[in-house]
Amino acid sequence: MSLIEVRNLSKIFKTFDRKEGVWGGIQNLFVRQYRDLKAVDAISFSIDQGEMVGYIGANGAGKSTTIKMLTGILVPTSGAIKVGGYIPFRDRNSYTRTIGVVFGQRTQLWWDIAVVESFQLLKKIYNVSDKDYQERLETFDQVLNLKRLLHTPVRKLSLGQRMRCDLAASLLHNPMILFLDEPTIGLDVVAKENVRQFLRRVNQELKVTVLLTTHDLSDIEELCRRIMIIDKGRLLFDGALAELRERLACKSQVLLELKEPGKVNPAALGLNSDIEFKQLDEMRCQFIFDKRIVPSAELIKIVVNSLPVRDVVLEDTTIEEIVREIYSRGGIE
Amino acid sequence: MRHLSILIHYFSQYLKARLEYKGDLLIAVFTSFSATVASFGFLYILFHRVSSLQGWKFEELIFIYGFSLTCLGFFNVLSLNLYEFGERYIMEGRFDQVLLRPLHSLFQILFEAFRIESLQEVLTGLVALGYAGWKLRLQPTVIEVFLFPLMVVCGVVIYLSIFIILTSVSFWFEDRIGIIPPVYNMIPFGRYPTTIYNVFLQFLLSWIIPFAFASFYPTTLFLDRREFQPYFYLVPLVAAVSGTMALLVWNRGVKSYQSTGN
Repeated sequence: MSLIEVRNLSKIFKTFDRKEGVWGGIQNLFVRQYRDLKAVDAISFSIDQGEMVGYIGANGAGKSTTIKMLTGILVPTSGAIKVGGYIPFRDRNSYTRTIGVVFGQRTQLWWDIAVVESFQLLKKIYNVSDKDYQERLETFDQVLNLKRLLHTPVRKLSLGQRMRCDLAASLLHNPMILFLDEPTIGLDVVAKENVRQFLRRVNQELKVTVLLTTHDLSDIEELCRRIMIIDKGRLLFDGALAELRERLACKSQVLLELKEPGKVNPAALGLNSDIEFKQLDEMRCQFIFDKRIVPSAELIKIVVNSLPVRDVVLEDTTIEEIVREIYSRGGIE
Repeated sequence: MRHLSILIHYFSQYLKARLEYKGDLLIAVFTSFSATVASFGFLYILFHRVSSLQGWKFEELIFIYGFSLTCLGFFNVLSLNLYEFGERYIMEGRFDQVLLRPLHSLFQILFEAFRIESLQEVLTGLVALGYAGWKLRLQPTVIEVFLFPLMVVCGVVIYLSIFIILTSVSFWFEDRIGIIPPVYNMIPFGRYPTTIYNVFLQFLLSWIIPFAFASFYPTTLFLDRREFQPYFYLVPLVAAVSGTMALLVWNRGVKSYQSTGN
């Protein structure tokens, strides 16, 4: 039996078109034309204990709605969720003791009081013993460097610092599962790496099952073996990242900026014929290629050696492109 | 027990945060106290002109007012988040976090923030009760002494229930309809003997928005007004029924909570 079982899960939001102006506001109160919005549309999956799964999709694809149903915040319109034997929204009181949740956009800490005081409140709410509390704080401090932050009010923390505190807060009660919604959003490279390193340890050493949403593919590449892709409320792909790469032509691109204006003759470079070339203007040109056929290092080496290059930018496939690619092929299988 | 200790923890945290701005808190207490004094002043001026209101003496009205103020004070301390619920919790989506903690959501909403300055009202109310009781030479029996705190609790529960139900509206309608202030402004009506009102108001204050059960009716036993005895004994029942209704409506609302987009 899996830890998380989701069957035919759907969530339909009722929304209505707001009319503008004062008169419109009054009309809104009495006459509303409701529209159904299918945020999540009959998805099914299961996750085993100890897995670390990336849940990806573009903005508005239904990631957050799924997470909110899994964590018991939203009641599903139809379908079934079972997590560790609990039905999240129904067994909220006992269920929430077994999970930790971090929303990248929002803190769970109390805004006006020092971090450590928030922690102590959580300790009380979750009934954590003094010994466990001290031990866990010590462990988290090793990776997250919390000590310096503990006595600062949350509102004075930077985004990266706040995220570190939020991560620690979500794990104080030793949950079985950690749900993260965009944990790296808005963070700089160093802070992102910090978060990823911590999550890896949490998963490997504390054996916490992790489900995280992101639209940063590098999060997934560094952390998750398994990914689920959702778009327009439907599950498009569920499997290993490597498998996805195998099956889809993932186009990467290299952007070049030249030192001086000029026209580049691609034929003279002796490149693989699969590489697509475009001159954008007299200063910039673009190579589109498939990493599986031409490693990016090789392409860059050739280009830099034979052209007067000022700057090279390598851009990997984005989630949006992967989703587009899946659609253009009419599905994966 | 766990809930009580969490409640104390919440309160001391909140107090600590408020005490960081002592001047602000002091002004809030002073403002709140002035408003209370002003409302007593109104009664005083009224009775300067008439010696009794339909057979009710000044001190009796002070007693009713004192009782009402005590309950209202506790209610005001706890209701801070109810007023801001639609905006702070629903529209800003903060309610998500509330639902992620292993405590009932209503418990968290009521006890996460306090209008500390309103403790002044509780105190002033008790002083008024003492003064009026002394002037009226009331001699409470042992049973009455025990019934008194129960009545205060019932009063607070009734106030809270009414406003919890009104607050729950935000779960379905995000627009601020502004239903709370007009109802709040009706609270003073409950502070007078219901018999001074016409039938419509009497009915409204007893059975639709039962403010009379949170202020006037509970005092009638202590004031020895036997004609209201059935109402007095209904107070706990009204509190229980409105409390249950509030809880049901709230839980219903939580189920239809839609959260916000991310």
